[in-house]
Amino acid sequence: MNSCLPRALTVLLLLSGSSLAMADATLAIGEPWIREAPPTARVMAGYLALTNAGDTPVTVTSISSPDFEAAEIHRTVVKEGVARMLPVTQLDIPANSQLKLEPGGLHLMLFEPQRPLLEGATVTLTIHRSNGSNVTVTAPVIRKTGGEDHSHHHH
Amino acid sequence: MSTDNKQSRFNRVLAGVIIAVLATSAGIWAARAVLERQSAMNELDATRFPAPREIQPFKLIDHNNAVFDNNALKQHWSFLFFGYTHCPDVCPTTLSVLNSVAQQLQDLDEDIRFIFVSVDPERDTPEQLARFVTYFNGDFIGVTGTPEGIEQLTKPLGILHMRVAAAEGASAYLVDHTASVLLFDPDGRYHAVFGAPLSADAVVSDFRKMLKAYQ
Repeated sequence: MNSCLPRALTVLLLLSGSSLAMADATLAIGEPWIREAPPTARVMAGYLALTNAGDTPVTVTSISSPDFEAAEIHRTVVKEGVARMLPVTQLDIPANSQLKLEPGGLHLMLFEPQRPLLEGATVTLTIHRSNGSNVTVTAPVIRKTGGEDHSHHHH
Repeated sequence: MSTDNKQSRFNRVLAGVIIAVLATSAGIWAARAVLERQSAMNELDATRFPAPREIQPFKLIDHNNAVFDNNALKQHWSFLFFGYTHCPDVCPTTLSVLNSVAQQLQDLDEDIRFIFVSVDPERDTPEQLARFVTYFNGDFIGVTGTPEGIEQLTKPLGILHMRVAAAEGASAYLVDHTASVLLFDPDGRYHAVFGAPLSADAVVSDFRKMLKAYQ
């Protein structure tokens, strides 16, 4: 009986074909947030963590949002002191690993917000994978101006 | 008589020994203070110039349309960061870190100013800068000017900046730029530089050490 189970699973896997294999590579989106921009900005930055809990690599080809005119994935690279923003065409997340988009590194470039996006607002982000599937998440707009960690320093 | 002589010679020798011991320990103490100060300087995250550098004359304007030239860097410490207001990641991140630095240094009885110099003067008017810098901290100062004026300041400091097209082909463009934070001392001289990415804790602890060494 015990030896039958793995065999039955294998058969099931083979029968169900690619759809089951696809579901193996689960992509979870964690801690999505959009940096509240100063009142001058027409471009905002977004961050999130992509976790691939599956046994096969996951490729993200693009991210879109109805709340912006356009969205791109960029990487800030500091080389010899100079910060450059390079467009990234795809994100590869190896099996059982996490890729973080965070300030000063990989980030979403969100062009031309379609409405005022102040702290408290939320934004819809859709993550598009190379296998054609999508994951949609809601990201809060958060004000981060550096005083957050030192609120006890009131003088 | 002879015992008195012996006694006074002994006293003189004793005094000599005491002076020698005192001098040596004073020497050791002084040397140790110097070494400690030096090793504190060696442990810096920042690059501190052994001899602070004078900078060439420049003339710009601040976000209140007041003249901002070499004199605006004197009589107080200044942290300078170069960027542009359309910058979505590096500039807001750095200004947030600098705001955290400003708050952590509030206990010092020092006039410390934080200055954001635009490398995109075409789009960054004083009004635009005023709204941008004060979003992070009401005391931050935004500086802009003519492209030539910006060059006068940035070129000798080795601050690089170049325009690149935003990938979507719209009228918007990005500016690659040096992301280091420069520290100027109260003599208006270029004192030290902090490389990117900036850590608030490292800047705070380095600044305290450099302030001590400067006084």
